Formats: sequence, structure tokens, C-alpha cells
Amino acid sequence: MTVTSATGTMRIVRPRRVIRRSEAKWTWLLVGVIAAILLIWEAAVSWLQLIPASFLPPPTAIAVSFGKLLVDPEFWAAFGYSLGNVAIGLVIAVVVGVTVGLAVGWSPVLRFTVAPFLWLLYSTPKVALAPLFILGLGLGSESKIALVFLLAVFPIILNTMEGAVTVSTSLVNAGRVYGVNGVALGWKIIVPATLPYSLSGIQRGAALGFTGEVLGEFLGGTGGLGHMLEYAAYQFQMDDAIAMVIVMVIIANLTLLLISTLRRRLAPWYDDRKIAGAS
Amino acid sequence: MTTTSIERNEAGAPLISVRDLSVSYDVARTGKRLTAIEGVDLDVHEGEFITVLGPSGCGKTTFMNVVAGLVKPTTGTVLVGGSPVTGPGPDRAVVFQDYALLPWRTVFDNVKFGLEMQKELKGAGWRERVQEAIELVGLAGFEQSYPRELSGGMQQRVGLARAIVAEPRILLMDEPLGAVDALTREVMRDEIEKLMAATGKTVLFITHSIEEAILLGDRIVVFKSHPGAIKEIIETGLERPRSERSIQHDPRFLELRDHLWDALQGEATAAAVSK
Ligand SMILES: Nc1ncnc2c1ncn2[C@@H]1O[C@H](COP(=O)(O)OP(=O)(O)OP(=O)(O)O)[C@@H](O)[C@H]1O
Ligand SMILES: [Mg+2]
Repeated sequence: MTVTSATGTMRIVRPRRVIRRSEAKWTWLLVGVIAAILLIWEAAVSWLQLIPASFLPPPTAIAVSFGKLLVDPEFWAAFGYSLGNVAIGLVIAVVVGVTVGLAVGWSPVLRFTVAPFLWLLYSTPKVALAPLFILGLGLGSESKIALVFLLAVFPIILNTMEGAVTVSTSLVNAGRVYGVNGVALGWKIIVPATLPYSLSGIQRGAALGFTGEVLGEFLGGTGGLGHMLEYAAYQFQMDDAIAMVIVMVIIANLTLLLISTLRRRLAPWYDDRKIAGAS
Repeated sequence: MTTTSIERNEAGAPLISVRDLSVSYDVARTGKRLTAIEGVDLDVHEGEFITVLGPSGCGKTTFMNVVAGLVKPTTGTVLVGGSPVTGPGPDRAVVFQDYALLPWRTVFDNVKFGLEMQKELKGAGWRERVQEAIELVGLAGFEQSYPRELSGGMQQRVGLARAIVAEPRILLMDEPLGAVDALTREVMRDEIEKLMAATGKTVLFITHSIEEAILLGDRIVVFKSHPGAIKEIIETGLERPRSERSIQHDPRFLELRDHLWDALQGEATAAAVSK
């Protein structure tokens, strides 16, 4: 859609309203479906008693547990502990991943020697290494941060690498013609051209990193949301456990939303649909 | 034809001097070497407007890239201002065939890129220069648009503005009006001619249009393919200023057009047969 503003400037504007309206229809449908499922669930457990409430608590009980969680200081402590570990692990993964990805993507020598190992490591089920991390680094934060890092770093490296490899020669040529050389070439051409790819890798890395944190706490931890969840499950407090799972789903989705907003802010020129990325 | 010489009869050393230039590429897929151009000789004097014509794939871009310092000669020498070309330099700006705009920069910042590494950017007045170049190519009002929001022809004009703003001694233009519509093309053509006449710049201008080559060029360099080489060089000898209308019935224009038409048709047929 082309809009001519008061100053006569033509700008290409996305037809937001149109998208919103058709999206709204689907949102209502989704809300309806969820409401129906909750209603059937409530009916099956509380009224018809088809399933024992101790095994699958009804939505109302979960809602009560969820409400209690939100005012429980212990929950917020666990929340801070988990998110702190994820944040630290993720920051290290971003720094290492972007640096390694740019280096390997840009240097043909590294690409032919190092890249095959990166792909090999990427496809290794790193979750299997989790017990080793607990044994090696202990029950504290260190083992969790290491796990977050390990899971998050590969998608970041590989996406950044793909971005750096696909920087077109003509952009580099344009840079050289107008006097951009050496470090400036990296900074003015390679990095911005790669940024959308890196961000897409970071998005994936964040999701995997969060999984790593919860897994680490499960396997052997002294705190955090995963630990709390495990505790509730052992006590057969299913309403608490399910409320915890919901919290995690919310956190994971908020993180993804945050990063995709960041991506649109930092790389507004980039068409989202064009990024396939290493998945 | 009247004149065929690698050198124009003019006093002084040429600004660009190409001798026995050939370029071959390694083709990774087949492991063979492909000779893109061979035995190219050309002298270009300061202030000359050279147009380059030739069938697709005959090595026009390759030739220009060597002069730009982006591709190294396999054999032969290229001198600019008397010294061998070792890489790009501020004395040469390029309008790329594929535009080569930075997608993360707005039109304004893309044009500014032409000045980015020049010292002028630190001084005053660069904003006005960028704005002037944008207006020259008819993109006023689009300063804050991103390249992906523009049509192909508009993107091409951003590339043109970026080269013009750099105020180089030599302008290398690779089909700079290829994606522009006929009407805008005529306007841009006039602008380029006027600008070059006013500033006395030296231009190498690749085009696929015979009319454009005649209209703009002091000399026309015709390339042939397999391997790419110069087939002939023709001095147009038409009065300036020229306009599409004024030369339309000029017998010299008609003579040149027929001649070039035959030359290129022969080339195109040869290229098709050899494939
Ligand atoms: N980087 C490269 N690697 C290998 N071969 C190349 C490369 N660049 C060009 N060539 C080959 O060299 C030949 C000349 O290409 P070039 O781009 O110079 O032609 P052109 O005259 O500019 O064509 P067009 O008019 O279609 O733009 C072609 O056969 C092409 O396949
Ligand atoms: Mg070309």
C-alpha cells in the first residue's frame, strides 16, 4: 500500500489494519477453542469425576495454584535464579557465537577446517551431556550456565556463519570502491549484512538455552523453576506442577517475542520471510 | 567506417591506458579457466565519454571491474593517471549493474556512502551535496525509504547518485539506466550528459542500447564475444549538446546506428551459433 503524506512524500506502509482484522477473527476462534477445552476438562474432572483430581487437577484448581505462585516469594526467588542463569549463559553464547560465526563464515580456511566440526557438534544430542556437566561442575549455577551456553551457542554460530557466507560480493565491492577497507569493511558491510541471521540464531538459542536450564535443574539442582517443578511433581501436587509448566511456557514465549521485536527494531530493512536459517 | 583507433588524436598522456589486457576466471565447478576478455587495448583521455556496447557475456563488466581495481588483470597492464591500478581508489566511482545498495541503509545514507570515507564528510556541506545528488536523479522525497521499498529503476538511480556524489575523476557506469523506464531514461541521460560536460569528467558507460551509445559517446567501443575482445572503436563525431530529437534525422546518426546494428547482430548470431 502506498500512502502519500501531507508533504507529498511517498512511503510504503504495511496494510496493518487489514492484517489485524483478519488476525482478530482467528484470535477469537482460538479463544473459543481453548475455552471449550477448559470447559470439557473441568466437567470431566470436577463434575463427572471421570479422571481423579489428584492425577489431573481441574483448571480451576490450577488457576488457584497459579494465583498462589504469583504471591509466593519462594517462586520469585526461583524465577530470578533460573532467568539469571539463562541470561548469563545466553550472553556468553551470543558473544562467542557471533564472533566464531563471523570468523568461520568470513575465512575460507576456517570454513573448510572448522565448519564440519561445528555441524557435527550441532547435530549431537547435547542433552545427553547434561549429567556430565552436573558431575563436573556441581549442583550450583555453573553447571546450568554451561548447559545454557552449550545448547544456545550452536544455532547462533551456524546462523551467523550462514549470514557471513552469503554476504554478496557486490556489496563488498561497493564497500571497496568507496574506500571501505579492513576492519571498516567488517564493521560497515559484513556485520550489518549478517545481523538478521545472528538475531534469528539468537532467538533459537534462547529457546534451547531455557530448556537447558530447566533440564539442568531437573537433573540436579538446588534452586530454580525446574527444581520447584520437580519438587511439586514428587509431592504429587499436580496443580502446582501444571501451574509451573504454564509459567515456563509464558516465559519462553515472552523471550521469543522480545527477540523478534528486537529483530524488527535492529533490522527493519530485513524481510522476515527471507530468513530460513539453520534450524 | 571512418575512424578506428585505440587512441584519440589528442595531445597529452591518456588518463586511462589499457594494454594487452586479458582476464580469465577459475570456474570452480568444472576446474577449467574461462577467458573472459583477451588482448584489450584502449586509451581514454581526460574528459572523454566512452560508451561500451556488446552482446551479453562478452566481458564488459569484467573490463570495467579491472579499471575499477576490483578484478586483477591476468595479463597486461592498466594505468590510471600514469600509475598501475592496484585496487579501487577515490579517483574512480562505480555504478554497479546489480545496484549493490546496502539494504540496511536508507536512500539518503546509501548516497552518503559515496562520501563516507572521504575527508569532506567531516567538513560542512556534505548534507547538501548528498541532497543535491538525490534530487539530480529524481528521488527527492524518498530519502528515508529503504532500497527494498523502491522499484528496480529507483534503486539503480540511488546507485547513480552514490557515484556522482563522490565526485570522482572517472565514472564507471555499468548499464546505469538499464532498469529505468524510457521517459525517465531520457531525462537521466540528459542530466548525465549535462553534468559530465559541466564537470569535465571522464566516463566509461556500458549500455545495451545502440541509440544511447551514440547519443552519449565521444567514442563507442564495440566488444565481441568468445573470447571477449574489442571489435572496433568508433568516433561518433556528433555535435554537442545532443538530444534524442535533434540527432534523430542526422545522417551521421543514422549511419552509425545501421553500422552498429549490423556489427552487433553479427555478434549475437555468432554467439548463438557457438553455444
Ligand atoms: N566471478 C566470475 N567467475 C567466473 N566467471 C565469471 C565471473 N564473472 C564473469 N564471469 C564470466 O565472464 C564472462 C564475461 O562476463 P561479464 O559479466 O564481464 O559480461 P558482460 O559483458 O558484462 O555481460 P552482461 O551484458 O550480460 O552484463 C561471462 O562468460 C561470465 O560467465
Ligand atoms: Mg555486465
